[in-house]
Amino acid sequence: MSDVGWGLWGSWEQTEACLNTVVGQWTGPDPVERGSIRRWLEPKEFECAIHTDASAARAAGFSDLVAPAAMVFTYGVAPYWSPGDPPKRIDDEPTQIQIPVIFNVPAPCNKSFATSMEIEFAEPLYPEDIVGCTSKLTRIERKTLKVGAGAFLRQEDTYTKQTGEIVAVAQLDIFRFYAELGDSA
Amino acid sequence: MEQHNARTTVGDALPEIQIPITLQRLVMEAGANRDFSLIHHDAEVAQSAGASDAFANTFFLMGMFERLVRNWAGPHMRLKKMGPLKMLNFNVVGDTLVFKGSVVAVEPAESGEKCVLDLCCESARGQTTTCVVELIKEK
Repeated sequence: MSDVGWGLWGSWEQTEACLNTVVGQWTGPDPVERGSIRRWLEPKEFECAIHTDASAARAAGFSDLVAPAAMVFTYGVAPYWSPGDPPKRIDDEPTQIQIPVIFNVPAPCNKSFATSMEIEFAEPLYPEDIVGCTSKLTRIERKTLKVGAGAFLRQEDTYTKQTGEIVAVAQLDIFRFYAELGDSA
Repeated sequence: MEQHNARTTVGDALPEIQIPITLQRLVMEAGANRDFSLIHHDAEVAQSAGASDAFANTFFLMGMFERLVRNWAGPHMRLKKMGPLKMLNFNVVGDTLVFKGSVVAVEPAESGEKCVLDLCCESARGQTTTCVVELIKEK
């Protein structure tokens, strides 16, 4: 597995052509609900009644049990497989999380990692809400770091719920770079 | 849940949270937050990206910072902004992370107090992540 790379391959000219365009748009497959909130709280050992008890949430001024604000990312993740998609085979590349500036934007890079994120929250998420996401590439900055030569790409994600209300707007900076295959960088 | 003081002042420190990073926790986290990127649960792939082992993802870090401020500010808090959140080093399997922070600005808001907090995550190698948070502590 040491030779695994990822991201859509292409030239820097193709990267530049994507600047300030929509590079991804989808709807999260699952509505907000109690079970997924509990499973999200669990590995963080996060205890707060407004996320598990509707009466506690109402007492705190919310209209119902409320999802943690940072869960907007989770409810906005595109499905990894949907009915109608072909079945996965043993030699298929693993499906990665949908990060459009990595997987939809071509660049001469085979590795990447997130370096910075900023998010402003608006409407809270309540049970039965469905989250959609629209992603734009808003910045390209070529750079060479110790892991390799590449570029910082900024992705602006606007998350909305089924009513059209904005839930959050996030700015994600990803460093995409080229590493020799088999190189531990 | 912590007890929440009515008034906030610059310099107030948030109660720290310690949490060990195990591969089981990372796998549970991936299943819960839906980020199944291999770098967060496969050591070899993580090493090819420059880390020493599988490392915690951004969603986990943001969730832990939300836990930190929610525990401190209580159920009436409204989170307005997180970030810039900067990843300075990997948070890998075997690390015990410490999440902490303090208040750097307070001003009156229509519904209570607007607070700005400087937060960070540390491991034995030092500071790994920093995050600025803006929130409203409602009356």
